[in-house]
Amino acid sequence: MNVAKSGYRVFSANSSVACTELAKKITERLGVELGKSVVFQESNRETRVDVKESVRGQTIFIIQTIPRDVNTAIMELLVMAYALKTSCAKNIIGVIPYFPYSKQCKMRKRGSIVCKLLASMLAKAGLTHIITMDLHQKEIQGFFSFPVDNLRASPFLIQYIQEEIPDYRNAIIVAKSPAAAKRAQSYAERLRLGLAVIHGEAQCSESDMADGRHSPPCVRNTTGHTGLELPSGKQQAPFPGIELPIMMAKEKPPITVVGDVGGRIAIIVDDIIDDVGDFVAAAEILKERGAYKIYIMATHGLLSADAPRLIEESAIDEVVVTNTVPHEVQKLQCPKIKTVDVSMILAEAIRRIHNGESMAYLFRNITVDD
Amino acid sequence: MPNIKIFSGSSHPDLSQKIADRLGLELGKVVTKKFSNQETCVEIGESVRGEDVYIVQSGCGEINDNLMELLIMINACKIASASRVTAVIPCFPYARQDKKDKGFFDIPVDNLYAEPAVLKWIKENIPEWKNCIIVSPDAGGAKRVTSIADRLNVDFALIHKERKKANEVDLDDMADTCGTICHATPGHIQLISAGATKVYAILTHGIFSGPAISRINNACFEAVVVTNTIPQEEKMKHCPKIQVIDISMILAEAIRRTHNGESVSYLFSHVPL
Repeated sequence: MNVAKSGYRVFSANSSVACTELAKKITERLGVELGKSVVFQESNRETRVDVKESVRGQTIFIIQTIPRDVNTAIMELLVMAYALKTSCAKNIIGVIPYFPYSKQCKMRKRGSIVCKLLASMLAKAGLTHIITMDLHQKEIQGFFSFPVDNLRASPFLIQYIQEEIPDYRNAIIVAKSPAAAKRAQSYAERLRLGLAVIHGEAQCSESDMADGRHSPPCVRNTTGHTGLELPSGKQQAPFPGIELPIMMAKEKPPITVVGDVGGRIAIIVDDIIDDVGDFVAAAEILKERGAYKIYIMATHGLLSADAPRLIEESAIDEVVVTNTVPHEVQKLQCPKIKTVDVSMILAEAIRRIHNGESMAYLFRNITVDD
Repeated sequence: MPNIKIFSGSSHPDLSQKIADRLGLELGKVVTKKFSNQETCVEIGESVRGEDVYIVQSGCGEINDNLMELLIMINACKIASASRVTAVIPCFPYARQDKKDKGFFDIPVDNLYAEPAVLKWIKENIPEWKNCIIVSPDAGGAKRVTSIADRLNVDFALIHKERKKANEVDLDDMADTCGTICHATPGHIQLISAGATKVYAILTHGIFSGPAISRINNACFEAVVVTNTIPQEEKMKHCPKIQVIDISMILAEAIRRTHNGESVSYLFSHVPL
């Protein structure tokens, strides 16, 4: 029985033109017009959003890409979502291909879990559903009180490898750190290639900082006691005899490659490429160990600071990213950067959600670790 | 004072330091920075467990960045088991898009007034204030203007409606692009030609974006007086007509009173020393 469905509208909440490119591609594929709205910054830097058409009772998709100015993009999304909510839209679905602050999803010392804060803010502003791609940590879905569809870019990247890299069968998938090994393994399985893992000192010790163990810092007094201590000056020892085991400082071996990359093409796989220092170091060591070509496949190409210059000067042959994050400026500076268009899967997700169809087709061939 | 901590966001560290000095406290250690992908990162540098925390952040400059920083700081303090977190927001952003009103918040709001400080400044800095006229540049500011005029026991006026001889003192809430104030410039010229000797503009929040500074320099104001809810050092270099009223003592006193559980309404009509 086909109940007459009310229509759906697609809006873009970005104010800059570079960011609306993806929204335009998606609406072309869907065969609809982008909704009429005006998003701009006032002279005092306040964000202003004006929705120019009626949205009463409709399902609205807001496409938001996150450029360099993260906080402004978030505010634009929140303001538009709230404007639509107060204009009686039925459902407001945020299409946020790269979800910001996803790296700040763990408790660090006395920090804030910004991702959870952002999830609460989006829910309060009126979003009822989110479509995103390759979340940095899948557990972020748990921060939200509404459904989150975490699409995958890997089919597109794998297709790129098969079509654009000649003799890819002589390649080996490389994880730039043990944390990325699961994702690399899932690519390796689907392409039927080998796997290598890079491990060692040059890796950033983000995992060390992630927990709250350093708070408050232990003050050592001169008696050389180990374990629980009070600041010197107060000589009470309320818990004599409690000796906590000393935390050994982690020591990492010098940077090394586990797996054989000699005489092969090395393909480094990751979800976000932002600061490229680690990637450049990995490329160096892979070159040393005999890899003759080095590719980097990443879903979200943030490429901050002077990443283009570093890539240009390094041993990396090509960096392949998707168009979830606008990077035209970086492409101009570094011709090694290539783009894969993922608007097809986003458009398909929008269509299926609106028609109430199953999304399972979009997730076929996706392994648990991807 | 025990159990109180004051943290400063990066929007107006100068004002936060003044507030902390008045309270005889050190500002709390906090590190605010941006990652290379421009995401804000906040780390509180000392324990806030069980403390009454005040975070001072003004809605000025890069408003969205400062707002996000404030939210993250509040969130971090709550997660770190602070007993109570209060945000001190001298210039509240997005206030012109919806009227800032107590009814919009689910939590307690103390809306302080710059009026007592403005009255004090007028009495101390305008020699013939007894002969002055308070003028509102548009109809919307009539209530504010009459309140000040009553306290000073002087007359008031609305632009384009009345012309009178004597000093004119213009009052407004926000000077953003100075459009309103300077559109009234033809009115000011009329005021000057009608016999006004000097024209002062007094505004609570001096946002001064876009062409505001050049408009002020070209207009015939004696002085443009703003409070330091928004940092003004840079603008004062470009425009010698800008003078600043320090309101840090009002905020410091409000913090002290809320921390001690005393009434804040004393501040609605008095300037603390």
